[in-house]
Order: sequence, then structure tokens, then C-alpha cells
Amino acid sequence: MSGGTVDRARAMAAPLGRPALAAAAFVVLAAVFFAVIGRNPLAMIGVVLEAAAGDSYAIGESLVRATPILLCALATALPARVGLISVGAEGQFYAGAIAGTGTVLSMLPTPGWTMLPLMLVTGALGGMVWSLVAGLLRTGLQVNETISTLLTNYVAALLVTWLVYGPWKNPASQGWPATVEFPAAARLPALFDSRVHAGLLIGIALAVVLHLVLTRTRWGLVLDVLRSNPRAGLVAGLDFRRNALIVMALGGALAGLAGIAETASIQGRLQSDIAGGAGFSGFLVAWLARNHCLRIIPLSLLVGALLASGDGLQMFAQVPSSVTLVIQGLLFVAVLLVNGWLDRKRPA
Amino acid sequence: MKLHRLVRPLLAAALALGAHAAHSQTIGYIYVGPEKDYGYNTSHDLGRQYVEKTVSGTKTLHVENIPETAEVSRVMERMIKSGASIVFATSYGYLDYAIELGKKYPKVAFMHAGGLKTGDNVGTYWANSDDAIYLAGMAAGSVTKSGKLGFIAAFPIPQVVRSINAFTLGAQAMNPKVTTTVVWTGGWLEPAKEAEATNSLVDAGIDVIGEQVDSPITIAQTAEKRGIFVVGKDVDVSKFAPKSVLTGASWNWGPTMVKVVNEIKAGTWKPSHIRGDLKDGTVVLDPFGPAVTEPVRKTILAKKADILADKFEVWSGPMMAQDGKELLPAGKAMPMDMLESMGFLVKGVIGTIK
Amino acid sequence: MTSFDIVFGSFLVSALRSATPLVFVLVGETLVQRTGSINLGVEGQMLVGAMAGYGAAALWGDPWLGLVAGAGAGMLLSSVHGLLTLAARANQFASGLAVWMLGFGLSAYYGAGLVGRKIEGFGTWRGAGLDDVPVLGPIVAGMTPTVLLALVVAPAVAWWFWRTRTGLVWRAVGESPEAARAAGLRPIRVRLQAILLGGLLSGLGGAALSVDHTRTWAEGMTAGRGLVAVGLVIVARWNPWWVLPTALLFGGAEALALRLQTADAGVSAHLLLTLPYITSLAVLTLTCLRDRGQAAPAGLRAVMDR
Repeated sequence: MSGGTVDRARAMAAPLGRPALAAAAFVVLAAVFFAVIGRNPLAMIGVVLEAAAGDSYAIGESLVRATPILLCALATALPARVGLISVGAEGQFYAGAIAGTGTVLSMLPTPGWTMLPLMLVTGALGGMVWSLVAGLLRTGLQVNETISTLLTNYVAALLVTWLVYGPWKNPASQGWPATVEFPAAARLPALFDSRVHAGLLIGIALAVVLHLVLTRTRWGLVLDVLRSNPRAGLVAGLDFRRNALIVMALGGALAGLAGIAETASIQGRLQSDIAGGAGFSGFLVAWLARNHCLRIIPLSLLVGALLASGDGLQMFAQVPSSVTLVIQGLLFVAVLLVNGWLDRKRPA
Repeated sequence: MKLHRLVRPLLAAALALGAHAAHSQTIGYIYVGPEKDYGYNTSHDLGRQYVEKTVSGTKTLHVENIPETAEVSRVMERMIKSGASIVFATSYGYLDYAIELGKKYPKVAFMHAGGLKTGDNVGTYWANSDDAIYLAGMAAGSVTKSGKLGFIAAFPIPQVVRSINAFTLGAQAMNPKVTTTVVWTGGWLEPAKEAEATNSLVDAGIDVIGEQVDSPITIAQTAEKRGIFVVGKDVDVSKFAPKSVLTGASWNWGPTMVKVVNEIKAGTWKPSHIRGDLKDGTVVLDPFGPAVTEPVRKTILAKKADILADKFEVWSGPMMAQDGKELLPAGKAMPMDMLESMGFLVKGVIGTIK
Repeated sequence: MTSFDIVFGSFLVSALRSATPLVFVLVGETLVQRTGSINLGVEGQMLVGAMAGYGAAALWGDPWLGLVAGAGAGMLLSSVHGLLTLAARANQFASGLAVWMLGFGLSAYYGAGLVGRKIEGFGTWRGAGLDDVPVLGPIVAGMTPTVLLALVVAPAVAWWFWRTRTGLVWRAVGESPEAARAAGLRPIRVRLQAILLGGLLSGLGGAALSVDHTRTWAEGMTAGRGLVAVGLVIVARWNPWWVLPTALLFGGAEALALRLQTADAGVSAHLLLTLPYITSLAVLTLTCLRDRGQAAPAGLRAVMDR
């Protein structure tokens, strides 16, 4: 978004045309793929729509899947505002899950009303600390944040595995690697009669607040200058290190929150693999949205819906899970093609 | 809603699935890995195909690559909403989710692979492959020259720990000094790590390897390449390593699944722990490879006859833990919960399950 | 032959084997980033390379044809990234992830029929009389052709990149596309060439994994190696000369995590498996302590702003 106002004007001018064009391109690409593998394209696209949003249950499941993706996308977008490329949401998600779980386990067996807020706060802190490792390495020693966040992702995931096979294993779980089940006091309130929880509302509210802060405050401007023109920032006496640390910390907190909310409200216990790629999906969403916090909201819902529809496609259309991945890939190709084509005269 | 009305006719017309038709029995299957993995998941999918072929009026739904997290709740629920009245949750980690959903959908029958919990409508099925692994371990114990065996496995869950121990006990029956070194790959489908783990074990002087990962293909072929021996699990891989494969333990889930489905249809099913074994054919001891000599085959087959005649029990005392402490006194059989939540390694196993 | 030779030699071979697929991918991605692009899709390119390579080897019975097919498939998929980022000027990170998903999905879909098919792989030189040569003997004897190919490709590309005119052109495009354009060069064309070459090499890396190292095709079998390689380019400081040591560091730590288990280290396997990641980060940090920052190509910075 180097063009600033020009770009913004363009984005506002065609808010409806863009999604429609992208959808059309996607349908064409997907139809070609389905035709190649010998399936009826219309019927298959129908199945995807049905499984993603066919009834209130499907919509609910799509929202469940979207919740951590939304928070992880914000966790990617925030550092990107000063030009930092963090792929660390997945690791911060796990760090948040670990820290929050530690709180819950330490407060058992007498959970009170303080458990939920304390769990959420420590979860966010866990993600923050994990993110600050990369942040400090970057600001202190110029260690590239992309590689440090990538590598620490794997470490965080393995730490969870180690904890649930070792020190935190529920002795009553018959050998299954997971912690004890969280008490009801640790669950976020559910919305409607579904698995959707208040984390979704928190995520949406945070996206709106962040959008306002980033676009309407002086601090947002500072970040823009630090990203698009670091030299000007230096001349104007802006502190890159301090601001980089702040956005890394805030981003980590958001992903950590996603981690503990998912652990407590959806999984009900800590175990391996619970992120399910939410960190990477969030990264994708953030860059599809070009790190624009409001655009992140619909895109997270879209990606969440696609992911949640995968098993439906397998069940109803009897195709392997790989087809879902191809369809997702084609959707993003369509969005990128259309965006790129519409923006091609954008000043470099 | 609108979308619904738009999509439904399309669906029905083009796919003619009748997913919402209740008159035929719909059975859902969920796999933790790829349906075509030439291993654990394939063995369950063969069971599914057998059910579809054998029990008339059944239709199956199957979904692959579903992690052992809350993801599986959604998949099971969608299956049920699509008309499934029986759900086979074929991976160990699906247990708690099946139990939870069982309460929500009392009319649906859930069958879980290998858990030790039941509900009003949740039963489990599993088969004791330990006997066959023990017999395969005897083959391993007889061909090893170094007395050092290896075992490559994904994660230390009870079903894997049982195999490691049974393999070691079988080998020790032939050669009491045998040890088994365990290497964990940290993933069910990690061919690169499996190959390198095999190489590491060979370099450490180990000459027979047992395994429990998704598919034995990589380990068997690497063993053949390095000129050592291997014991398979889940499917027979002798065509990939004709010289190296000694024998192995394979699954045949079809008949067990058909039995349960027929009982449920007839209304006679009561949730319980169904446990197959060598005797009823759910577990098969693979054919012997050329490295297993005739006298050794005879010894192993005699032991197999003892097992079939209930004259020999793998899980009975005296049994010592890795650190030498007594697990079971002589003559005592292992209780079911100790067996199915196995969290210890026997004496002679080198490695850790933490 | 001393036991030291055996332990050290077999570990070195082990590290080399683990590093080989990474070497190809790293060389390719280094060139991609040096010319001012970034391609997160290499994971998907590796997978289609692994699948196509395995398929070709199964079909035609020749592992060499497998390597060629793998390289071709990787290049074909990378053209999607080229199209999206260069023609449609799409965001590079998003485009790379789209390519990743396409590669994962397509390889799993078309590879399903290959599971359970057997291929003829390459042999080693064990038993060819090399084993008794001290130190180097057992090392060379345990190698397969792709390992040797990796050992040749990395320095060859490094030499080409630093010592030839075309190498200079590629560097110039990465440092300053504007200046390159003013000098009559065509940055877009160079970038496309780099992306395609990166695709070819990552496909080759994938094929090395399936056809040679494991002789197995399984969906998702690269297990994140491609993504890690994108990051390891930074550890290698965008310099093809550093590719070999970087890949060896990671591959060696990977092999060590397994070898320590066979040596009964008594440490949790889950913790041992963090070794490759922690070691890479530690080494990167140490080198940053010495001289601050990495020599990121200036042209790469522009990527972030799109």
C-alpha cells in the first residue's frame, strides 16, 4: 500500500466489483478442475456451498473455524504495519495455549470466576512472550524475524507435545496424551446453540479497534512511516525498535489469545495439533487482505468456511481430502489474479 | 434458507446420493490419515468396503485426514446430520469426542477403535495384535546376530507401547539377552524420518527392526537396502522387501465390522469392548520370509498353536519393567486396564516414553 | 577402520542424506530471493516433484527419469507463482501459499494411485571396495547419486552466480531493479527465470526425497521441509556458497535427533526433535552477533510493501 491515498481511493471505489469478479474467476477455475477430474462442476460447487453455509449448523462450524484464523491474521497484520514479516502466529498460538493451560491447571481443583479472565490474560501473555523472543532478536541483533518466527513455531508445537506426553498428561486418560479436561469455568460463553464462542466477537471487536487505531491515530501514522520510509522515520526521530517491539508483543498476545480460547472452549483440554494450521491460514488471510484489519474479517470467515467444508465435500461428493486443498488453492489464485489485475496500474 | 433451496436440488440431481434418506443404513467412517496409506487407514478402509459389499442396504460415508482434535466432533456431527446411524471412529484419539457426541445423539451407534470407555451407545472394537507381534518378535530374536533389535514408532500411545513390549518379549523368548532400541519419529507419516531412523539403527549395529507408523513401506525398503531384517505391521509389505521381511501382523477388520453392523440392525447390539485376535482372524500373522529357517518356523507355529489353544498368554507374569521392577508376579495375567492403557516399557527395551 | 571413523562417517552420511533435498530447494530459493522475489510455494513444488518423480520412476522403471520428471513438475507449478506475482503483480506471500496448497492438493490427488507401487531406486557404492578406504571410504560408499548431485549443484551455482556475467545480471536485478532497468536489463524476465529455476530445483529436491532417499510416495511427505528451506535462505545469508553448510547444519541436527535416541540419551524424543530448529536459530543468532544484520537483497524489501 505504498500509494497511500490513491490506493485507498481505488479500494473504496470498487468494493463490490472486486468480490464478484473474484468469485466469477474462482468458479471458472474450479469448474475447469472438476471437469478435468471428471466431476460435474456445478454439483461440486453446490456441495462446497452447502457444506460451508447450507444450514445454521454449517454456518456455526464455519465460524468456529474462522475464530482462531481471524485472531492469527491480526497477529500477522500488526507486525506487518512496520514492515515486519512474522509467520509466528502458529507458535504464539501454542505458547498462549501452554501459558493459559498452566493457569487453569494451577487453579484446579477449585475453579472460581477468576479462572476465565486469568486464563485469557496469561494466554495472551504467553503468546506475547513467545513473539517477543523474535522481536528482541530482531531489534537487538538484527536477526531476521521471518526465520526466527518460523523456527520457533516448530519448537512451540513440540513443547506442547512434550507437555501432554510428559508432565501434564492426565493420569486418568488411559495413556492418551492430553491434559485433564478444563472445568466449565474456563470456557468462554457460547453463542446461540452452537460451538461458536465469544472469542469470535472479541476477534471482530479487536479487528475494528485495531483498524481505527491504525488509521485514525498518530501512532498508526508513525507505523506507516516506519514501514514505507524508514529513513524519513529516522530523520523524524521515530523509534523503530520500540514500535517494532510493541507490534510484535501485541500481535503475539492476539495469537496467544486465539490459542487459549481454542484450547478452553473448543478442545476442552490441551493436546497436540490443536492449531490445525490456524497460524498459517491467518498469515494467508492477512496478506490476502493486504494487512487491512477490516478486510481481514470477511476473508477469515471465507477461509474458515472453506476449511470447515472440507469434510462435507469428502462425505457428499466422495472425493479425497486433497480436492479441498486444490479448491482452496484455486480460490486464492482467483482472488490474487483479480486483485492484481485491477491494481496493475497502481504506482510501483 | 435461500441457499439451501438453491443447492439441494442440484445436489440431489447430480449426485443422487440420498444422503438424507433414512430408509437405508448409512455408516460413517473417519480416518486419521489418508485412506490410501498402504497401512493402518487402508486396513480400516478395506473393512469399510467389506461392510458395504457384505451387508445389503448399507451405504458408507468416509472422510480422511481428520486430526485427533475437536475437528472430529464436527465431522461426526455432519455425518450424523447427513443420515449416518453408525459411526466408526477409527483412531484412538477420537474416543472422548465419540463419548461426548454419544450423549447428544442417543440414537446413533458409535464404534471406537481401541478405547477403554463405553457409553450407552458407544462401543469399542479392537484386536489384540500383540500375539502376532510376539510371534514376529520370536522370528526377530532368532535371526538377530548382534542381539540388538530396533523399533521405529510414531508416538508413545498405549497401542504402540504394547507392540514394542510384545515384540521384545517374543524376541527374548528365543534369545533372553536381546534388547530393543526405540526411536520415535514424532509423526505417523514421516517417510524421511523413518528412512533416516532405519539408517541410524543400522549404523548402531541393529539388525532387525520392528515398526508401528502409518505404513511400513519406507522402513521395510530401507531395511532391505541396508541388508537387515524387518517385521511389518498393519499390512503385509513383503513385496517391497522380499528378503528383509521376516513376517508381520496384519489387520482384517471386515468380519468384526460386519458382525457389529448386523447386530445394530437387528437391535441386539449392546455397547461393549469387542476384542478380536489371531483366533477369530481379525489379526493375521503374515507369511514367513526366506530368512526364517524351518526349525524356527516350527517353534513359532507351535507357540501360535498354544496361543490359539489358550495355553499361552503373552501378557502374563513374570514380567519386569525397563528398570528391573516387577510388573507382574509369575502366573498372573495382566488386567485389561493395565494392558490397554499401557504406559511402561519392559526390561530389555532401550528408550523413553516420556 | 576405527570406531571413530564408523561413528563419524556414518553420521556425516546421515547428515548429507537428510540435507540433500534441502540443498536443491535452498539453492533454488536463494536465487529466487536474490532476484527480488520470495516463493513460499516451494513446499508444494517439492510435493509435486516428489509425486511426479515417483510416478515416472514407477512407470518407466528408471530413477533418473524420475528425477527429470520431478524437476519438470516443480518448474511447471512454479510458473503459477511467476504468473501471479509477475504478470498479475499479486502479493508474493499469498501467492506462494496458494501455490503450496495447489501443490499439496494436486500431488495428493494424483499420487493416491501411486501408494503401494514399488519403484527401482538408485544403489549405493557399498561393497564396491570403497568401504575399507579410511575415513572417506565409508562416507562415499554410503552415498547415492542425488547426494553427489547436491554436492556438485550447490558450488556450481555459487560459482556461476558470483563469477559469470549472467550471475552479475541476476545480482544486479535483485539489488536494484530500477538501476538494472536503466542499464537495459529486463528484471521481470530475470525474476521469471529465477522462479522457474527455483521450481525446477525444488521439484528435483522433492524427487530426491521420494525416488532416492525414501523410495516412497506419501501425501505431504515433505513435512514442512520446503517452508523451512525458505527461511534457511536467510541463515545462508542469501549466498549460494553458504547453502551447503546451512543445509548440512539442519540435516545434521535432524539426523542427530534420531541418532541420540539410538544412543539412549534418555531425553524426551519430543524435545530432541526440536534440535534442528533450535540449532538453526542459535547459529543464525551467533552469526548476527558477529556482524549485525543480514545481507538481504535490496530488491526483496519491496516485496513487503505490496
